[in-house]
Amino acid sequence: MDDVEGHPATATPQISNKEWKFSELLADPKIRDRWEKVRHYFFLRESTYDMSNRCNIRCEGCYYYEGDKQFARENRDPEAWRELMRAEKKRGITYVVLAGAEPSMVNALCEVCYQEMPLGTIASNGLKVIPEFIQYKIHISVWGNDETSLKIRNAKNMLGRQIENYQGDPRAVFVYTFTRNNIDQVYEVAANLADHDCKFTFNMFSAPRGYDGSLRHTADSLAKTRQTMVDLLLKYPQNLLFSHYSAVAHTHRYGLHDLYACAYPRMNPSTDIGLGRSFRQYRTDLSWDRKAACCVPDTDCVDCRHYASGSAVVTARLFRHATDPATFKAWLDYVDTYLAIWVMGYAKGDNLCNQLVAPPGHEVF
Amino acid sequence: MSREADIEKIILRVAQIMIDELKLEDVTAETFDPEIDLIDEVGIDSMDLATVALVLRDEYAIRIDEDDYPKMTNVRLISEYIDNKLKDQS
Repeated sequence: MDDVEGHPATATPQISNKEWKFSELLADPKIRDRWEKVRHYFFLRESTYDMSNRCNIRCEGCYYYEGDKQFARENRDPEAWRELMRAEKKRGITYVVLAGAEPSMVNALCEVCYQEMPLGTIASNGLKVIPEFIQYKIHISVWGNDETSLKIRNAKNMLGRQIENYQGDPRAVFVYTFTRNNIDQVYEVAANLADHDCKFTFNMFSAPRGYDGSLRHTADSLAKTRQTMVDLLLKYPQNLLFSHYSAVAHTHRYGLHDLYACAYPRMNPSTDIGLGRSFRQYRTDLSWDRKAACCVPDTDCVDCRHYASGSAVVTARLFRHATDPATFKAWLDYVDTYLAIWVMGYAKGDNLCNQLVAPPGHEVF
Repeated sequence: MSREADIEKIILRVAQIMIDELKLEDVTAETFDPEIDLIDEVGIDSMDLATVALVLRDEYAIRIDEDDYPKMTNVRLISEYIDNKLKDQS
């Protein structure tokens, strides 16, 4: 990638052939401090929950309205949800992601989840406020500028309404999803978010199975998106929760599964340990299906570069990133970013590695 | 030294590393049950195991394959794994 390599702040580091001991990596005080900071959160064990089958908007390419899960009958009984959360705790779940279709349609159920499970995130379109006493992180989806939102989400003045609802709210992280068509629009959106002192991060459109629309990324759009991410990382370091390695992992020509071997049950038959053992994705009728269990069911796994998926899949690959200082710092930045996005009260540190580091066993692009 | 004695020595060291790295309380290397299931009974997960594996890699200068994690469900199995690796290398 010549355009990126030519940038002095983003040059790919030369990695020697030395075999580094883990203790040698940790001998650098900056690395050790960051390692101690992030490892404190290794107890997080997630599952995800569709809270409703309703949404107040309909977006092109929305993963929820693909496959069977959209037809699940809503369970609106708060006590059923309370029982589920208690059962989840018993089997070791410590963190919940409340998603599909639009959790703010059922705030009372979100409240029950929060009462039972204090750590979590709600994925929302941000058009309906989630009460402040639900102290989960709230990820507000942004799919381009207002013109694009009107076109693919049929929602007017979307960003302005989202900002009005969540400006100054420490729960809120605006998640800009790059599609093939909205890459340049992010500059306008990022400036607006930064002007209102909002935190934001990036997601990559990952095509649902069978999707052949115009949003799916190409090699060119991946490269352009990476360059754009790096530009904005340098421009908005206070507002943008991201890292150079996040850009590499999510804009690589290979998807997350090919790069890191996805650990979610849908792609991982092992039930021995980790996500393959504990992760479940519940539909709104409180059923779950191991064959479909991942954070973005019905996504085409080959095309999956989803931020939520990466948060678990890249993070889980600690061992293969502990090879040399640059790679380990890149991984620490990724984990630090993930925790800042997903955990209330976690403050992101400065990135340790401001270069594009290749995923283990692969080229940088 | 017999293989059993080698493994018993490794078990003590692995148990101590577990205690130190995972900050386990109310247990010593001597009282750590090497047969206890680390996942079901101690409650460690893949990130904990990866951390321990990195420290063991340093300690014994052996290569540990990520795919072997599922075999490492108790301290005795980990110790036997290390012993086998050491013998393969010698």
